[in-house]
Amino acid sequence: MKERNTTSTLKRILVNCSSQAKEYGGCVAKKVPEVERDMCLKEFLALKNCMQNVCLTSVFCYIKNFSMSANASSSQLTVGLSGSGGLSHAYVQYPPLKCNLPGSRGLYYDDANKLLLSPTSDQVFSWKTVPFSPHVAATADYINEGPVLSIRYSLDAKSIAVHRSNQEIQFFQRETRETFTHMCKSESESILGFFWTDCPVCDLVVVKTSGLDLLTVSFTSKSVNLVETKKLSVNWYVYTHGSRLVLLASGMQCKTLTGFQLSSVGIVRLPRFEMVMAKSDANSKPVLAAEDVFIITVYGRIYCLQIDRVAMQLHSYRFYRDAVVQQGSLPMFSSKISVSVVDNVLLVHQVDARVSILYDIFEDSRAPISAPLPLLLRGLPQSHTGRPVNVGESLDRNSSNHELMFYGDDWTFLVPDLICDVASKSVWKIHLDLEVISSSSSEVPSNLEFLQRRKLEASKTKQLCLAITRAFILERRPVTMVAKAIDVLVSSYSHSVKTCSNLKETKVDEASASVGTNASNSSRSAKDESRVGVGDKSFNLSASDSDDQSREIDSRDLQKSGKENLLGAESSRGEVQSSSLHTQQLGLGNNQLNANNSERQDSQLTSPAISPDEMYSCVFVPVGEEIVGDPSYLVAIIVEFLRSTNSEKIKVRPNIYVFTIQLLVRYERFAELSLLIINKVLEPSKEVAMQLLESGHQNPQMRKLALDMLRQLSLHHDYVTLLVQDGCYLEALRYARKHKVTSVRPSLFLEAALASKDSQHLAAVLRFFSDFIAGFRNTPEYQDYFRILNEMNTGLAV
Amino acid sequence: MGLASVNTASEGMQLCIFDLRRGQQEGQELDKILFFFPADLPFATQLSVIGLSEGLITFTRIFSPDAACEVIEAERHSHVFYEAESDIWMVMVVDKSKESKAACQVDALRKVLKEVHSLFVLFHGTMRSMLEKETSGGLIRSHLYPFITDYLSAYQKQSLLCNCCWDFLIGRKLQLPSFHDCLMERGTVQMLTVGREAAIEVQSLVKVLECSAGTTSCYSLVLFQDLLVSTTLSPDDTISLFTYAVLRLTPHALSSGATSWSYLQRTNAGSQVPALSTITNSGSVSDNIYRSRDASLDQENNCQVKRPLHHNRWFRGNDGFLASDIWGTDNGSQTSVTPIVYLQLTEERMYLCAYQHKSLTIILLVPVSSILNGEQGLSLVKQQVLENASLKMLMVEEKLSKGWGGENAYHVSGYRYLLVDDERVSRASPPAKVMTLAKESLLALSKLREEVNLEKKRAKCSSSEVNCDKELEICVRAKNGAWVIARTSRGKELYMVLEKASETLLYAADSVEKFSNRYCSGVFSLD
Repeated sequence: MKERNTTSTLKRILVNCSSQAKEYGGCVAKKVPEVERDMCLKEFLALKNCMQNVCLTSVFCYIKNFSMSANASSSQLTVGLSGSGGLSHAYVQYPPLKCNLPGSRGLYYDDANKLLLSPTSDQVFSWKTVPFSPHVAATADYINEGPVLSIRYSLDAKSIAVHRSNQEIQFFQRETRETFTHMCKSESESILGFFWTDCPVCDLVVVKTSGLDLLTVSFTSKSVNLVETKKLSVNWYVYTHGSRLVLLASGMQCKTLTGFQLSSVGIVRLPRFEMVMAKSDANSKPVLAAEDVFIITVYGRIYCLQIDRVAMQLHSYRFYRDAVVQQGSLPMFSSKISVSVVDNVLLVHQVDARVSILYDIFEDSRAPISAPLPLLLRGLPQSHTGRPVNVGESLDRNSSNHELMFYGDDWTFLVPDLICDVASKSVWKIHLDLEVISSSSSEVPSNLEFLQRRKLEASKTKQLCLAITRAFILERRPVTMVAKAIDVLVSSYSHSVKTCSNLKETKVDEASASVGTNASNSSRSAKDESRVGVGDKSFNLSASDSDDQSREIDSRDLQKSGKENLLGAESSRGEVQSSSLHTQQLGLGNNQLNANNSERQDSQLTSPAISPDEMYSCVFVPVGEEIVGDPSYLVAIIVEFLRSTNSEKIKVRPNIYVFTIQLLVRYERFAELSLLIINKVLEPSKEVAMQLLESGHQNPQMRKLALDMLRQLSLHHDYVTLLVQDGCYLEALRYARKHKVTSVRPSLFLEAALASKDSQHLAAVLRFFSDFIAGFRNTPEYQDYFRILNEMNTGLAV
Repeated sequence: MGLASVNTASEGMQLCIFDLRRGQQEGQELDKILFFFPADLPFATQLSVIGLSEGLITFTRIFSPDAACEVIEAERHSHVFYEAESDIWMVMVVDKSKESKAACQVDALRKVLKEVHSLFVLFHGTMRSMLEKETSGGLIRSHLYPFITDYLSAYQKQSLLCNCCWDFLIGRKLQLPSFHDCLMERGTVQMLTVGREAAIEVQSLVKVLECSAGTTSCYSLVLFQDLLVSTTLSPDDTISLFTYAVLRLTPHALSSGATSWSYLQRTNAGSQVPALSTITNSGSVSDNIYRSRDASLDQENNCQVKRPLHHNRWFRGNDGFLASDIWGTDNGSQTSVTPIVYLQLTEERMYLCAYQHKSLTIILLVPVSSILNGEQGLSLVKQQVLENASLKMLMVEEKLSKGWGGENAYHVSGYRYLLVDDERVSRASPPAKVMTLAKESLLALSKLREEVNLEKKRAKCSSSEVNCDKELEICVRAKNGAWVIARTSRGKELYMVLEKASETLLYAADSVEKFSNRYCSGVFSLD
């Protein structure tokens, strides 16, 4: 697919710039023997200009073509498949979560509890979106009748707050159905919104036009208490629970923003900062809207993306504790933009162009990680043709009443990775197709780096990484390149070991999860800070929600065990009433885990890091089986692997050393092998020594090395036994006496002495044992050999 | 320098190479002689030396068909025999001067012969194959003469160097190995001990080198200073290539050439090829064999007979690769031709590329068969190597020099020792330290080594099957009260002189034990 793109670009260049190319070529041809710098500069510049234009526009063309074709058939919506051949970097899985209830008065999303809420006249239904399952059953709670502007469950899920009007918020306790109302004090201010917080000083934050009110809610006294007020004129605000950050916009253009982070560690006030807005002309003053600002959490760092409609750019800002730093801009190809974050990958949905562009902003790179492609719908019941399903027609058939509009006006992108189709009342979860993304990248080391940062489907990602590495080695790429790839894997593993996040318990209490970021994230961001240059004192604001993501389980796993899940959900429904939503969530999780034990192991992996053992069994061994001929390439790679592990101070199990020895012995590279052993590149161990002994049949030098190794490892028993085997029984005896080795049977020594047909030696050995081992004289062995010795001596005498 | 030294040397030593399969008819005896040093001896004398040797060989073969005679000790001479290839014998006749009476190690002398031969084979292939190529023997003679003369003059040079460096053995005689050298072992490699991390870096470099050369059957040798760091060659090839590298390629060898360059030029002003002209001009070369050969030599000297051991012909190119004009220059371009060496085991022909960065010398052997268009293809390989590995080489050099203890890195104070492993790898006290030993101690050690060698040979003969080498422990008190010690254990040998341990045998044994535990991981600790 990628190739097709490049060839078409090339073709376009050749077609469009043929005249310039001809001129330049002619010019050079004329002067050929004396080639100089800048000799056909004019012609060259013309050609360059033309080529650049073509290249630049190619992306635009691509998108434009796309949107045109999409527009042309917008009623039918044959989106997504025409250009991509059924592949896409991101997709949504059929079926969606249907929130279709009679009498529903709209859909609300509570991003703190990850609940989808649909109020009816006297009830509110909620669907859990984590873990995402289309079959999850709704839970109902009673509320009073009245208008609903927004609705949010408290963080302990015990109460519900409903935003009724500009002046009024109503509270319900779920268990007791108690209720009371909080009113704005003065008429001059109105409530813009509210959110629950896990901040130690307050429970609820109400955003008003005059500022923030920090409140505690008490059902016993049926009242709210004001803890603190932050005075500030506010036009609109943006909040995400993931970042615990609220941004308040003020000013004529609404581009002056003030931020507060209300996390479990306390309240941090961010310095006021101005958004960048380009002006179309001197007098125009574009106004920033709330829809134009997105707070995203990526790798535990908090960014803000801001749409600049005039410049057609998406500016990004990164938040630090005491600074906000502008980070650069992403291009916009559509007037309507939305963003999602899936597994720390930023998806910028160019809604009008009907494509999504993926960015991995780990390394401050602004380059997209794949070509702009539309989201794809997967898992629709197969139509009669075998080809990937066309969204439009299939929807006509399947979801009879509601027309699903891909990138339609009804689409609302929910934080961080959900899409809510308001018209059909269905919710989709966005997934990344890492396989497609990685196959579109030819730079394997950076690709692996990207994959190693993915946490969502850790076991799948890990398998993908292993497959990529295997293929990379089998293709016999240059050792330096493979070394880079291995470095990536090893350092990722060492990182995951250091942070102990490899096998993390998922049952972290949500409240405590907000204590800070993953240690990994914070250390990563600490590293970055020095590069940003804000200084040591600036701690970046940490997102506390990153744990939530790791709790999400691949929805397809859920589908596999869909029945059990349903049961689980039902059985846990009883609990819900008694306890909290939170436990329901865990109950479901447990149920699913019980359903499939092997999956449990996989889903608990939170990092795709590959241990040296897995490298050995999943990369080196299979590759060793497949590679024919000289193994030196594979040995070179193993050496690089050892270098990498050594520099990261990771222990390697002996099996990889044994494997290396086998490889080298098979092709009789004894010189290299002995160097590797002598210099302890292959660290000494019993397994290594035994393998060397085995190859000692072919090369006595190896046997010597093995013996030396055994002695150095103080494996006295094996050493003595081998010495006896070699016929050096006298030396073995000496050694046995020195190191008090009594475990070797005396008969071995005696047999060896007898084999040498030296009666003196036999006598010496016999004598030694009768002295060395108490009671040896009484054993039948002694008697036997004593007799033999006598016979030998008499034989001599005769 | 050439004339004088060679003449004086000739008094002390004769060296001849002859082929028993040639000249079997009466009157054709001269045909046997492939090489004789000094060349100006009358043929009658030459033939008498060879005749005696041949007679002895034939005689002793009756009793020991596999290993004929090794040495004859006459009243005034020692004859040292070495069968280089089947039926091609090298014999060295050494005068027994008063000083070196019974002190000249026969084994060391034989190792000199072995070394010349292995170097010759490295660059020219086996003598037998050369004789088969050209049955008249002219070809091999024309190659052997310059080669061995260069080798011997290397000896003179080495000892001269010793003079200037260590004020040792003043004189211009050909310095054959004597008792003074009994704490070193010819024909072994000296290894650099490296830590695991550095070793991995080195291995990684080696692998990158081999892979960047494009073919899988590349070999490499890495040296740091005059010490071997890594090799992928077979042991025998490693030894001969290592010997050559230390003689001619290492930074030490290159710089020593540079310092004495002017001196040599002055002395060589008269003749282009000093050593060779000495041979050809000095003696009354009457016989037509030699004359014809010399004539042909003079003509072909420049184009055909390469002299790999010729002094001061290697220099470091701008790209870091070592170059030499010994093999001439490429037609058309000004680059010098890359030498070709022969591997002993596989008899493969390999291009020898040497790269040097500071103290690090890397020798890369690329199969001739894998490079299609000669020098051009080779320069591509070199470029590839530079591209892929130059960074690694810098890093390895840095790492190794950081870990290196300098000239006296392997000195153990209080001990003068020689450690030989499997007759392939050796380590010894630095020569400057050995020099401080008294003559008596060295003489005693030399004698002791002779004994040990004899003992080893006996053991080998009696039980060739058992791979458990004989264990030996000998402590001798020399006249001056020093302890001279030899220990062998499982193929490893330790020789030691303890001059200050004048106390008791117990004390000496204790010192050896300590040494063994600390530096040889307890190999020689008996009980």
